[in-house]
Amino acid sequence: MPAGPAARDSRPPGPYVGWISMDAFFNQAFAGLSMASILLMVALGLAIIYGAMGVINLAHGEFVMLGAYSAWLLQTYFGFSILVSLPVVFLMVALIGLAVERGVVRWLYHRPLDTILATWGIGIVLQQLVRMGVGTDSRYVARPTILDGNVVLGGVVMSNYRIFVVVFSIAVLAATWYLLTRTEYGTRLRAVIQNKEISECYGIRSERVYAMTFAYGAGLAGIAGALVTPLVSVTPTMGTYLVVDAFLVVILGGVGSLMGTAVAAGLVGEATALFSFLLNDTLGRVAVLCAIILLIRFMPQGLFPDRVRR
Amino acid sequence: MNNRFRFDCIGYGLFLGLILLVVPWALDFDGFELNTFARYLTLGMVAMALALSWGGAGILNLGQAATFGLGAYIMAMHLKLKASAHMPDGMPDFMGWTNVESLPWFWEPFHSLPVTILAGFLVPVLLAAVIGIFMFRGRITGVFVAIITLAFLVAIQLVFIEEQRYTGGFNGITGLAPLELFGWSVDNYSLSFYYFVSGCLIAALVLALGLVRSKVGLVLRAIKEDPARVRFFGYDVARYETLAFCASAAIAGWAGMLYVLVLQFASPTYMGVPFSLAIVIWCAVGGRESLVAAALGGIIVNMLEGRLSDLFVDGWTLFLGALFILVVLVMPRGLYGLFQNLLERVTEFYRQARAERRETLASAQSIVSEPTDKGGR
Repeated sequence: MPAGPAARDSRPPGPYVGWISMDAFFNQAFAGLSMASILLMVALGLAIIYGAMGVINLAHGEFVMLGAYSAWLLQTYFGFSILVSLPVVFLMVALIGLAVERGVVRWLYHRPLDTILATWGIGIVLQQLVRMGVGTDSRYVARPTILDGNVVLGGVVMSNYRIFVVVFSIAVLAATWYLLTRTEYGTRLRAVIQNKEISECYGIRSERVYAMTFAYGAGLAGIAGALVTPLVSVTPTMGTYLVVDAFLVVILGGVGSLMGTAVAAGLVGEATALFSFLLNDTLGRVAVLCAIILLIRFMPQGLFPDRVRR
Repeated sequence: MNNRFRFDCIGYGLFLGLILLVVPWALDFDGFELNTFARYLTLGMVAMALALSWGGAGILNLGQAATFGLGAYIMAMHLKLKASAHMPDGMPDFMGWTNVESLPWFWEPFHSLPVTILAGFLVPVLLAAVIGIFMFRGRITGVFVAIITLAFLVAIQLVFIEEQRYTGGFNGITGLAPLELFGWSVDNYSLSFYYFVSGCLIAALVLALGLVRSKVGLVLRAIKEDPARVRFFGYDVARYETLAFCASAAIAGWAGMLYVLVLQFASPTYMGVPFSLAIVIWCAVGGRESLVAAALGGIIVNMLEGRLSDLFVDGWTLFLGALFILVVLVMPRGLYGLFQNLLERVTEFYRQARAERRETLASAQSIVSEPTDKGGR
């Protein structure tokens, strides 16, 4: 992945607009898209949990980490390819999420700020359990062999695996949209979000809906974690900073809006890639963080405000 | 209220006695042990700073470590310049490794100690003022404050790691000279240094308590309960919130400066997300409503960490996480709330017992004084 100044100095061949190599630019744009797709899957789970229950789940990064370790576990001990293990990972992490919700989070629905603290504590515990169980060494997971190779379009090189991740994340978005708007569970969830007491009068068990939602969000984080394993090394702390980014995406997109989360993830991914191209990786991230803070300050409702009256 | 004030005063007295007399005595006036405890005191100080804005005004600042780290780096810059006096151009060694030609302009002022100390307070305050005005003018509250301060923290830490030429990057600033204060070369393994740190903590506590117990503190507590109502009364809510935010930053910067004196190095981990949330943990364990309790929370948790992490190297972090979940679930007001409930129950019990005794005494007297009456059954 060429980073700004280096790419400029070496002057790769291909068309140029000013000093910007178009090939490098589009490569960077694709890297941004790939980053956005992972961010989307992490943020989607977070958005559902935050939108439905107002719970800020700082343990979400650890759910991602658990998903990554589950994929590693399944590959190392059972020889599963990532594609095969995805449903298993989803179930495993969803079960852990369910346990967390039943054990801790459900006592805190009336104290949203305290959920930040409690879920951070859960994150510490999960991280330490992994550290004690698996060790602190970086782990690596092989890419599925069907998805080896690249697609080359002019000077733009796109690895098949990254394309798969992008497509898969869009599929997850579509599935989540279907789940929330076209199924009975989704209707119940939306009813509980709008008015918990009245939905309970109609016989909806809001507790159960909350638990399922938390588990689903955790499962999505697990899938995201499994999918990033071929791209990054797996460590116990890999989720800590991811959760900050994902949270900014959720708030930027507007609470309770799936489309908003998707657009915000795309924006943040591409903006990070663009700023990294123009400045460098770190300053690019700083610039994006500042831009997001500014946007949140002036549009606290997010890009796509939720118009449902509560 | 009066009763509660009396309990608070007893608490302050006990705290003073504890850190000034009991701890040095219990540690046998041993320089090394006292240095370790001085470290806990500075961490207690930053927990107290957080309590000032969180418990005092309801501003959950997840980026408290940023102001702490700034104070730490400022003090480290001064001590580094002192240590590099013999180097060519007085340049710190890590700048030589990264090919910096001359001392950058923003390092120059830190040759002077008064400027350093002033900057150690003012730079964090300035940062807090900018962030505070930015947030509170837009009436940002609750969860959004938490997320924005967290994002600022991440951005600041990234910059400090990235600008390795000027800040030492991942390694931070190491190899520092001892501080010289009024001709007193500070030895961080001495009893006098311990008293210097505890004196700073007490001074900061007195100042912060002065703020909390003043009318400003009252308005801040009102803002915590209901900002809209305070606004209707004509108070400028954003200004009060920014004030609390800045006061908290000043104390955090102060604690950061002391922390560098204790440990003799500055590291970007002081500005990390885990450290910042650890501050929140200490504050919550002690009790966010009381400054002294928050400081005690910082001291106690770190003391436990110091003792227990030797015994159970891995288990400690697990224990810390579990402790934190438990505190949030079972005692949301921390140790302070626990003690307060206990005290209230005890006093209530005694009051009831006294009232009952008085009643029986009175009825007994009435029986004695009017023996012919039919009463008494």
